Amino acid sequence: MDQILNVLVFGLLLGGIYGLVSIGLNLIFGVVRIVNFAQGELVMFGMFGSYYAFAYLGINPYLSVFIVAPLVGLIGVAMQRLVIQPLHNESNMQIFATFGLLMMFQNIMLGVSKGEAFSIGGQVGSSVITVGDLRISVVRLVVFGATTLVTIGLHLFLGHTMTGKSIRAVTQDKRAARAMGINVERTFLLTFGVGAALAGMAGALLTPIYSITPGVGGNFILAAFAVVVLGGLGSVWGAYIGGLIVGVVEAFAGYYIDPAVKNATWFLIFLVVLIVRPSGLMGQVGAEEVGFREQN
Amino acid sequence: MNKTDNTGDAVGGLSRADSGIESGQRAFVKYVLGMAALLLPLALLVDDAHWLNIIAFTYLMGGLAAAWNIIGGFGGQFSLGHGVFFGIGAYGAARLYVAYDLSPWLTVLPVAAFAAALAMLISWPTFRLRGPFFAIATLAFNEVAFVIAHNLTSVTGGPRGIMIPFKAGLENMIFRERWQYALLMFGFAALVIGITVILRRSRLGYYLLAVREDEDAARASGIDVLGVKLRGMALSAGLTAIGGTLFAMYLRFIDPPTIFNLQEVGVKFALLSLIGGIGTIAGPLLGAALIIPFENFLRAELANAIPGLSLAILGLLMVLAALFMKRGVVGAIEDLVARLRRKARGGK
Repeated sequence: MDQILNVLVFGLLLGGIYGLVSIGLNLIFGVVRIVNFAQGELVMFGMFGSYYAFAYLGINPYLSVFIVAPLVGLIGVAMQRLVIQPLHNESNMQIFATFGLLMMFQNIMLGVSKGEAFSIGGQVGSSVITVGDLRISVVRLVVFGATTLVTIGLHLFLGHTMTGKSIRAVTQDKRAARAMGINVERTFLLTFGVGAALAGMAGALLTPIYSITPGVGGNFILAAFAVVVLGGLGSVWGAYIGGLIVGVVEAFAGYYIDPAVKNATWFLIFLVVLIVRPSGLMGQVGAEEVGFREQN
Repeated sequence: MNKTDNTGDAVGGLSRADSGIESGQRAFVKYVLGMAALLLPLALLVDDAHWLNIIAFTYLMGGLAAAWNIIGGFGGQFSLGHGVFFGIGAYGAARLYVAYDLSPWLTVLPVAAFAAALAMLISWPTFRLRGPFFAIATLAFNEVAFVIAHNLTSVTGGPRGIMIPFKAGLENMIFRERWQYALLMFGFAALVIGITVILRRSRLGYYLLAVREDEDAARASGIDVLGVKLRGMALSAGLTAIGGTLFAMYLRFIDPPTIFNLQEVGVKFALLSLIGGIGTIAGPLLGAALIIPFENFLRAELANAIPGLSLAILGLLMVLAALFMKRGVVGAIEDLVARLRRKARGGK
């Protein structure tokens, strides 16, 4: 029984991590429908940024997140302007271009870090809270809290501010949004920038948990796509709950079957959802087609 | 509006300049001339071991990219999971050879047939997905294949991989001389391109193009869309598996990180096609002929100085091609020819 509870808590906290890395992707893929394979590399940039801030400037990752996230957001803005904007409506070319960016980012960072893996878990991330037989890692709990807060914030932003409403309007119908006086290009730029900044934030908060390598983004990208599709494209709470489900499923599969099957569990979830209910748990039926239809 | 920009013109493929269907005889002559040109570097550099390695690899990757192009280019289904079929070819032949002493010549076709059957089985549900969803799902297949290969130690050797002992002999598909391998790879490329030339003129080829251009319209015209995609995928996967077998017999060592490496294998086929010209007959080969030697050069020059730089440059190329050369080198040449013709006509 204790074992099951421990695995469950571990899975929920892991789900918090997946939720956090999926929030940015949910904006970029779920809301504005851009296939960004380089999202995991933005998380990786966040991790390296916060590592270097810690190693050379002595800044705690929970403080450097306020520097790192905006910087990664700027990278996202540049990506959108230079690569994504010219390719809107061409999802196949977006796949190529963002995969090219993935290769670039990963290997540039490999050159910068000379292939060395960094870790600051020993200095920051080792404290554990014990409740009865439950052992809860503090850094993971922080991530879980951050995921919850950001989800609430994003929910309020998209639903209750003019900017948030204009983002949703642009997704649904670019032409009508333009006719209503919304600056479509600026909205896309903003959304992509925020999505990238959220990835950077996730990276900084994950620095104490993961060992930091140029390839670390690969741990997140498929899981994040699975979470976004499972929750329902563009559904803020869907991504939150989807993240928790993926985390719990992975924890149980890893504990009771084999730790190596985790990629397979993401994949199974992804495939089953796409085939059984393509709109995801909390997405509107038919919403998965919006934005991939031809628009001008 | 934009959609037609990158695909509409490419429909004509090589025959576009003639505006009309080219005669079978002409296509055959073109094919033979093209293959002869392809053989030229091998004939010229037959004494240079370093170049022979690059040439053999270029033929192999060109053939593999051309195999991807059947479903990715003509069918418009951007699979990023062809590493799975490549892996089946590599592991299937290697395991059967090492464990049961079966010659790769005997097993290559059954293994390819198995890959084709599996491709149909896993594509049947995924072909319901369109565009990016299909690409992500196939990417996930590749990851699952990695996990299986990593854990199914009795078949794949797990993380330690499979080592094929060196026993030179035609019957083992293991050769002492590099040029013999290069010739083998050339045969593979010629086979795939030959099939592509025939396919491009066949009913299935036209159906694939129709599905790529507009799935709904194709269905409305009475095309069995799913059946066409499945047949295209099976053909593409089978040929990819043959390439995998050749790869395994050439390197004589395979392990999961080599076979299921996305950047070096699964996505590479698509990248080479993109650079050369997606959905054209010559494009994938041309892409391989440009990229593989270039990559070798980069690796030799830069690997020691800065790790990863060659792949970073390849990534940059991919971005630039997606932005500015959507129809690849073949498309750029066709545009140039068309412009020159127009100018010549205007001059009269």
